[in-house]
Amino acid sequence: MAVSKDDLRDLFAGTLAWDKTKEIISGPKDDDRFEAVLELLQEQVRWPERILLPLREHLYIVESGGSRIVKCDCGHEFGDWRRNWKMSAAIIARDDIASMEEIYPGLRRPDPNLCEIREFICPGCGVLLDVESVPVGYPVVFDALPDIDVFYDDWLGRPLEDHQDCEDRTAEIISKWAKPLL
Amino acid sequence: MTIQATPGLDATLSPARDPISETGRTLAELLAYRRCQYDATGCYAGITHPHVLNDDPVRAELFHSRLLAALIAGRETTRMVSASPFVREVAELAIGIYTPEGDNIAQSPGIQVHIRCMGEVIQWMIEHDYEHEVGIDPGDLFWCNDPTVAGMHPADVYDIMPVFWQGELVAWVCTVIMEMDIGAVSPGCMPIANVERATDGMRFVAEKVGTNDELRHDIELKIKNSLDMADIFLLDRKGAIAANIRVRQEICRIIDEFGLDFFKEAGRELIEEERRNQIARIRQRTVPGRYRNVVPLEFYMADQPVSWLPARKDHIRLVPVEMRIERDGALVLDFEGAGEWGWHPFNATPSGMWGGLAFSAVQTLAYDGRANLGSLLPLDLRLPTGSVLNPEDVRPLATASIWAPVIDVFSLWCGMVANSYYMRGFREEMFTYRGGSGLQMAGYDQYGTRRPLLAAPTGNFGAGATGVCDGLDAGGALITAEVDLGNTEIWECFMPYLDLGRRFEPYSVGWGRFRSGASIPTTAMLHRSTETIAAGVVGGAAEYILPNLGLGGGYPGGRRFNVVLRNTDIAELIERRAPLYHELGHPASPEFERIDGEILRLHHMPPPMEVNDHDILIASVGSPGGYGDPLERDLEALRIDLEEGLADPEIAENIYGALAELDPSRNEWEVDVERTEDLRAARRRERLARAVPVEDWWRRTRERLVDGDIDAMLLEMYQSSMKMSEAFTSEFKQFWALPDAWTGGVQ
Repeated sequence: MAVSKDDLRDLFAGTLAWDKTKEIISGPKDDDRFEAVLELLQEQVRWPERILLPLREHLYIVESGGSRIVKCDCGHEFGDWRRNWKMSAAIIARDDIASMEEIYPGLRRPDPNLCEIREFICPGCGVLLDVESVPVGYPVVFDALPDIDVFYDDWLGRPLEDHQDCEDRTAEIISKWAKPLL
Repeated sequence: MTIQATPGLDATLSPARDPISETGRTLAELLAYRRCQYDATGCYAGITHPHVLNDDPVRAELFHSRLLAALIAGRETTRMVSASPFVREVAELAIGIYTPEGDNIAQSPGIQVHIRCMGEVIQWMIEHDYEHEVGIDPGDLFWCNDPTVAGMHPADVYDIMPVFWQGELVAWVCTVIMEMDIGAVSPGCMPIANVERATDGMRFVAEKVGTNDELRHDIELKIKNSLDMADIFLLDRKGAIAANIRVRQEICRIIDEFGLDFFKEAGRELIEEERRNQIARIRQRTVPGRYRNVVPLEFYMADQPVSWLPARKDHIRLVPVEMRIERDGALVLDFEGAGEWGWHPFNATPSGMWGGLAFSAVQTLAYDGRANLGSLLPLDLRLPTGSVLNPEDVRPLATASIWAPVIDVFSLWCGMVANSYYMRGFREEMFTYRGGSGLQMAGYDQYGTRRPLLAAPTGNFGAGATGVCDGLDAGGALITAEVDLGNTEIWECFMPYLDLGRRFEPYSVGWGRFRSGASIPTTAMLHRSTETIAAGVVGGAAEYILPNLGLGGGYPGGRRFNVVLRNTDIAELIERRAPLYHELGHPASPEFERIDGEILRLHHMPPPMEVNDHDILIASVGSPGGYGDPLERDLEALRIDLEEGLADPEIAENIYGALAELDPSRNEWEVDVERTEDLRAARRRERLARAVPVEDWWRRTRERLVDGDIDAMLLEMYQSSMKMSEAFTSEFKQFWALPDAWTGGVQ
């Protein structure tokens, strides 16, 4: 079922009436949802770059001067979409009892010897973009590396002007950081 | 035990002939042929041009509706016959129709984890030439609960029945029911202190247990001699057999009405149609690419009274998960880097992993009532041999809790798919769930019968937040979507305990702009019990490491926990009619601390301990993940949470950055909007002041790894994954820029 732009806006904000929300949840999915969402989001952001893909709350993969970068709706840019954007974020790592208790008091607290709660924050606006709960020492999780060209070429049937290989380039950041260590 | 043969059915019974399947093939030949057809064409049964369903869509819909109605009626029949609260209250059962070669055509609602597993049993029977060596005849009954054949754990018993039409085997009907007692080592059907197969209890290895719709007398005697709850087990079988017969009857009616050729062709086309629909759903709702997450599995076996002493070791295993959504809509799950298997009952199996994928994929993608094997055909699992997800040889191992890693893996998988739904704009489809653990008992019940005492009110799990609304409070057990808690009074009839409280626990929630549902802790006081032990029951192996279930800036729910209060003053409180213990309260100063007595704070795998009347068992699950930055939570939604006891002022301020007060004159909560806006702005500034660049954190953490300055269990966990995978080793060392020789100090 097609969903109007106004309803989509309210749906995402959590303010759409429940009967309509339920109808959208339970109804057949609309084939043009992506285009409708893209249009809505493009209107909502305050910068001109074309959104190629909404990545997660507040983050978008956008076309910027021939590159594809991850950008926050506040305008902060995280760099090439193929490098894990988290590596360019600010982080609060909850790795001791006191910092964990702020979120998980008493019986609910994980064990800081085993678990680390990593909060990735936008350096531009301070919004919390992701919470990662992993074993201490586990590499930063690269949640999603979408294959944008396959998506646009094969799935949407409207290829983008330039193709970029979908390969994990996070190691480029690590190499830079590791240079002084070698 | 005799089940009356269906009147009129005799007309369809005729002596088995060889071969018994269509077109003169043996079942083994038919199975091999179907597999060849699929490999050659990529279409189920080689159906490249479906026509039977398309030629007459109305007739096709009628046909499918009749199948589904038969299955639902069969499932309800079982619930009428069974006495087990697992069946009657919680509905831990399902029933399916299969092709002669064991491929699922249609499945009832319920625990749809078994769609493929039950078919695997049929195929195992075919591959082991039951057709000739054992015999497959009209009215035969087969049982299987052996996970080395297929399935999730021995407590899930499959009742399998062939359906014949004029001498030809045309289908199978299979019912699964979870049993409370399978004769396992104490405390029951999902024990922890079992590492060897014998402690699993009774295993039926796809055995023929009856003929002519009648259970063999010797099998009935075997059950009576082997189980404490033989009556419950046999009544469940009676219910399952009745359901199978009912579905078989209906299949015969459908064939009579639609014709045999239509039945066979349309059944197979339903599978191929669903395969195509599943690909279409994936291509409509997701975005191709690579998605990742990680599951830690914690096994605390050192203190378990196991029979095989090398098993007494606490350890953690890592399961990295990579999902690839391919150009053609195929979805591949790759577990490269999963740690080694171990001596405990929590190793998964390929069949168990397919089971987890089945219910997760059905409930989140293929939920239109037409789920069958076709829902799984576009999906694939890559399970490293020798890993905790795929031991080389499962036969020596106990298999009571295969569920634990399966739930941990697929609850996160739902979050991975949710990220893809977000990108595509289908935020309402985002969802996570979470496994739970609790306490089970064994001992003499209030009627003087010694038996396992496992209550499974699985409806108490909160559901994960979606991208458009909060998760359901309770009702988040994806394993069986229609689940509920059941009636307390019924559980109390079955267990020597009294339920002291069923209240939502606000601190169980995963925080976020949309929060997860709240969960309901189990709070049971032993009552009229004798010689009873309590121990853990594990439906998820993450404990001190929270599962990574937050979405888009939401937090995962907090740690779950078990507490046992022993030698309490509850009897005296009852005598004085003073308040008892009913709810957790604040997790930093829980209500149970005011009870006089011994307080045991336990992890999810506590070994068996003695408990007595008036001892209290508390099992609190954590909820899955919230969605979005909690500082963006709608203030009216927060106010409603406060009104409903699903948040308190501390949660409002610390988590949501909101200031709320109870207006005593109206006894209503009010949120101060202006001060909240100021506080939230301040919190964002505080975050930025407190946060560091990831590069700084990376250097600090790298130093710890280089120095071996992390917990020894974690270092051993990483080593285990490195032993299993060069790719994991390379990526791990590359990420941290570690020298090739790095071992973290582990030899």
